[in-house]
Amino acid sequence: MMLAEISITEPAVIGLVVASIQFATLLYLAALGETISERAGVLNLGVEGMMAIGAVVGYIAGISSGSPWVGLIVGSLAGAALAGIHAVAAVGLGADQVVSGLALTILGLGLADFVGDEYTADPRRALFENVDFPVLTDIRWLGDTVFNASPVTYVAVAIGIGTWFVLNRTSVGLGLRAVGESASTADAAGHSVTLVRMSAVMVGGALAGMSGAYLSTYVVGAWSVGVTAGRGWIAVALVIFGAWRPGRVALGALLFGFTLALQLRLQPFGIEFSPILVSMTPYLLTIIVLIVISYRARNQPSPSPAGLGKAYRREER
Amino acid sequence: MSHPAVELDGIWKRFPGVIANAGASLTVRPGTVHAVLGENGAGKTTLMNCLAGVYLPDEGAVRIDGEEMRFSSPSDALAAGIGMVHQEFRLVPTFTVAENVVLGAAPRVIDAAAINRQVAELADRFGFEADPTRPVWQLSMGERQRVEILKALWRDAKVLILDEPTAVLTPQEAVELGKVLRRMVAEGRSVIFISHKLDEVTSFCDEATVLRGGASVATSVDIATVDAGELAKLMVGESSATPPSPRLATPGDVMLSVDSLTVMDSRNLVAVDNLSLSVRSGEIVGIAGVAGNGQRSLTDTIAGLDVATSGTVSIGGVDVTADPPRRRVERGLAYIPEDRLGVGLAPKLPITHNAILRSYRDLRNGPLLSWDRAKAFGRELVERFEVKVGREDLPMASLSGGNLQRLLLGRELSRDPSIVVASQPTRGLDVAGVAAIQNLLVAQRDAGTAVLMISEDLDEILALADRIVVMSEGRIVGEFDPRVVSRSEIGEAMMGAPT
Amino acid sequence: MSRLVLARREQVVRGGQPLAFFVGLVFALVLGAVLLVISGDPVIDTYQRMFERSLGSADVLSTTLNRAVPLALAGLAVSIAARMGLWNIGAEGQILFGATAATLIGRIGADWPGPILIIAMLIAAMLGGALWALGPGLARAELGVSEIITTLMLNEVALRLIRYLQNGRWKDPEGFGFPNIEARPDQAQLGAIWERAHLGVIIAIAVIAAFAWFVNRSAWGYELDIAGASPKTATYAGISMRGKVLGVMVLSGAIAGLAGGIELTGTAARLSENISNGFGFAGIIVAALALMRPSGVALVAVAFSAVQVGGLSIQTLGVSPAVSAIIQALILFGAIAAVVFSTYELRRVERKVAS
Repeated sequence: MMLAEISITEPAVIGLVVASIQFATLLYLAALGETISERAGVLNLGVEGMMAIGAVVGYIAGISSGSPWVGLIVGSLAGAALAGIHAVAAVGLGADQVVSGLALTILGLGLADFVGDEYTADPRRALFENVDFPVLTDIRWLGDTVFNASPVTYVAVAIGIGTWFVLNRTSVGLGLRAVGESASTADAAGHSVTLVRMSAVMVGGALAGMSGAYLSTYVVGAWSVGVTAGRGWIAVALVIFGAWRPGRVALGALLFGFTLALQLRLQPFGIEFSPILVSMTPYLLTIIVLIVISYRARNQPSPSPAGLGKAYRREER
Repeated sequence: MSHPAVELDGIWKRFPGVIANAGASLTVRPGTVHAVLGENGAGKTTLMNCLAGVYLPDEGAVRIDGEEMRFSSPSDALAAGIGMVHQEFRLVPTFTVAENVVLGAAPRVIDAAAINRQVAELADRFGFEADPTRPVWQLSMGERQRVEILKALWRDAKVLILDEPTAVLTPQEAVELGKVLRRMVAEGRSVIFISHKLDEVTSFCDEATVLRGGASVATSVDIATVDAGELAKLMVGESSATPPSPRLATPGDVMLSVDSLTVMDSRNLVAVDNLSLSVRSGEIVGIAGVAGNGQRSLTDTIAGLDVATSGTVSIGGVDVTADPPRRRVERGLAYIPEDRLGVGLAPKLPITHNAILRSYRDLRNGPLLSWDRAKAFGRELVERFEVKVGREDLPMASLSGGNLQRLLLGRELSRDPSIVVASQPTRGLDVAGVAAIQNLLVAQRDAGTAVLMISEDLDEILALADRIVVMSEGRIVGEFDPRVVSRSEIGEAMMGAPT
Repeated sequence: MSRLVLARREQVVRGGQPLAFFVGLVFALVLGAVLLVISGDPVIDTYQRMFERSLGSADVLSTTLNRAVPLALAGLAVSIAARMGLWNIGAEGQILFGATAATLIGRIGADWPGPILIIAMLIAAMLGGALWALGPGLARAELGVSEIITTLMLNEVALRLIRYLQNGRWKDPEGFGFPNIEARPDQAQLGAIWERAHLGVIIAIAVIAAFAWFVNRSAWGYELDIAGASPKTATYAGISMRGKVLGVMVLSGAIAGLAGGIELTGTAARLSENISNGFGFAGIIVAALALMRPSGVALVAVAFSAVQVGGLSIQTLGVSPAVSAIIQALILFGAIAAVVFSTYELRRVERKVAS
């Protein structure tokens, strides 16, 4: 099959779009959480670990209760709980955020493997079913692709819109952004930097946990060691790719989700290109985008939150 | 008889190793502009910080409208109607004016258009312009100060405290500020005006309190009737270090020459505009002008830290325009930057590391550094320039402003430079520190060094310089002889009026 | 009415570095014990096994030392970059790419005599690691692009590069269907110096010692300190920030690459994606525990290696190997808390009652 001869109604194409949306949802949830955390000034490199914890806890909670929704919620809580450690260490104590975040990844992955030891080959499942919208699912092409997703995708979109609204149209969001840009100014204006940052980190953890639970209750549908497969790192890259804005991060999620989906689906398109090389694209793309952004913004303030990564302590003279 | 708007009664505030306020007192009548006068280090800012909730006084009472208050945070003070505009602005650079004004006092859901309108109306009410949609990083210092004032007014501050507000304003902007303050007190609000400049106080304020050594030496002095000389003596006390008297200079060869220099700033606007200047050995040339008129770009370019778009810089007759900073130092340049702790010194490192910043290459044994010789060099520097240090290995940040500057100057001057560029050399120092630094600079001049001094303190320039040059918007707009010029002439030049 | 704040101590607690590690270790062992109890595993037996199998005999001790080599070199790489305030999170990728470069030399010089081949491969490894760090270094030096992200991304790229080679040009013809890269030449094996410990241990010790000594005593090291403490001051003093950033990143990459080369010629027989084995990330932990000082890196690396080696051995007891990873992370958390508390202390701030 020549590329030009492929029509978009081919099952391969439809499958590609559906998978892209699935992976995009996965990445978007985690990246949204990290965006919130970083806009408040806290770098959390523990996304992979929080995702793993969310995945294993989500799976266990799901099969124990029989409901994937329970799995999703409990997985989120688990992610938030793990993020709490980073909140205490990096925000409460002011320890180095990079080190604490990496330790969190190792801890999260380790704990997840530890807890999930017995569940590795478990045949039990608690899966989401695709949402069947009365009218929309019948639309010819869109119904099979865009509107053929699990409820989590719609939840993710809603959270994305909600995040945008809160960040840009509420006093809470204004305060959070101020904490991330200039913590001392926010402090002087009456916002509690500690409270805002800790909350942001835990919300970020909850979303990363949700992303992990989505993995084990839908995308993969089960738990196994290494199920996160480095996608937490892609989410971290995604935040920067999207310049810390929920809307752009969504677009980036679609793009990166597409490359993830493409890796396993090159054959039907007759593309000789190695899927492994394709799998490098999200990472290379991020580097290129970063360089381009930095080059074009040389004479302007950088889009990254000015206080990102720095601990804040209110010093008395 | 109505209560005073503000009453501070016997305020004590101590920090490790220093007593900042020793029983200071203050009474402000409503509807007045009240000055808090004193030299640098007298405790003015600390006292006001106690009023504004930044510090909690160790002893003493704070009364607002007759009611005793206890502020454990700036928010408490704000809630009681006390707003403070600090010397260092607390603004978020990437936020707009409106966002900065409402931060911390915004409605739950923010309707950007409505907020913008309200902020613009507020500014209008007090007689000044402010575009609520502009991002703060684009604003000048004067405009940023207006944002700070708007912040207090947005929260309906009944008492506005301004800490050295005119330090960043041109004379014209200062007059505008005065008008704004008048409108505020006309509404019954009160303004507290911290300053160390007598002449400002007499033009803006109704009453004054003088602080010295952390205590009040005079309270509620009526400006209209007081004698300025009395106030000055109260501020400075009996034993004051006399400023150095400049001798008649006999300038020699041109040591520093700047020709048609044009430099762009980080926002791609012209900072230095086709400027030409020369400094001869044995003279002090003083550049007067309010901060933000290109002085920093000029000095950074002379030192090689910034790149010129066109024009040349020559040291000792040699064109150094393309030379890196180190080469210029080798050719005899010494640069005292305005940002002591950010540029001139590395505060996290110990004194020895900072002392050898210029000379470490000479202290080498092959590729290795001889730390013994380095420490000896540091000790010698400290002794020669009378820097008071606790322990050698303590980080620099623990030293006082005066000692930091002594070390910085000492390090630069110890290389026997032919041209010294000093930017705001005595800013923020106490009386003794100011005298010490000024003496060092004059001594250099007398020994034949060429000195280019940039200062916002007009009195300092008038006292020390042999030639005064005024910079405004990147250009030299006037050159004056300090022996004959008047302050108003210089002031007009600073505003850009043709001379 | 009072609240707790973290306030700066008058005097920083002395002996911060070993104290931090010790506190971290105790913290981790205690919490690890709790975890074991919860999952019904025998605590004493587990810890005893971990100790015996990592430090308990000459044989296992030598294995622990071998494993400490890449940990120590990665830790050194990270700590040198950290001296300038740069984060080299890409040690994983630099190890992998260094090993890849060494493998390339191994293929080219398959007939060369052992010592020459080894030296060539190690040099190639250093160059490879340096090259992998060059991009991020340039981006940071010229454009201020965060090296945290660029190095992180290149980790994943290096990993996939090896997978690509594994399935493609470098595939082992005798692989029996499993995609493996061809083994490196047999003669490119670092000789044993004590029990199982190979020459790499000596190389690592030499490199670390050289750096620790050089950085503290040279003008270059002084410039590094200034640049790391205050970039503007460094520029003012005529130190080229660009040059320093680039130089440090490349050097850091070279050291990490060397670790990859030593692994290839020491412990491993062939290049694979496991050759970095988490050493890059663990190196960050090692550096953090050594408080970013090259002098402490060696000891911390050995201790950490013991935890890792011990962790591998408890699987036969039926305990999940993840326990080791958990303990490693807990050591780190405990240590960073200890570091904070050596500089700050908890104080109660009273609100004054009106007099």
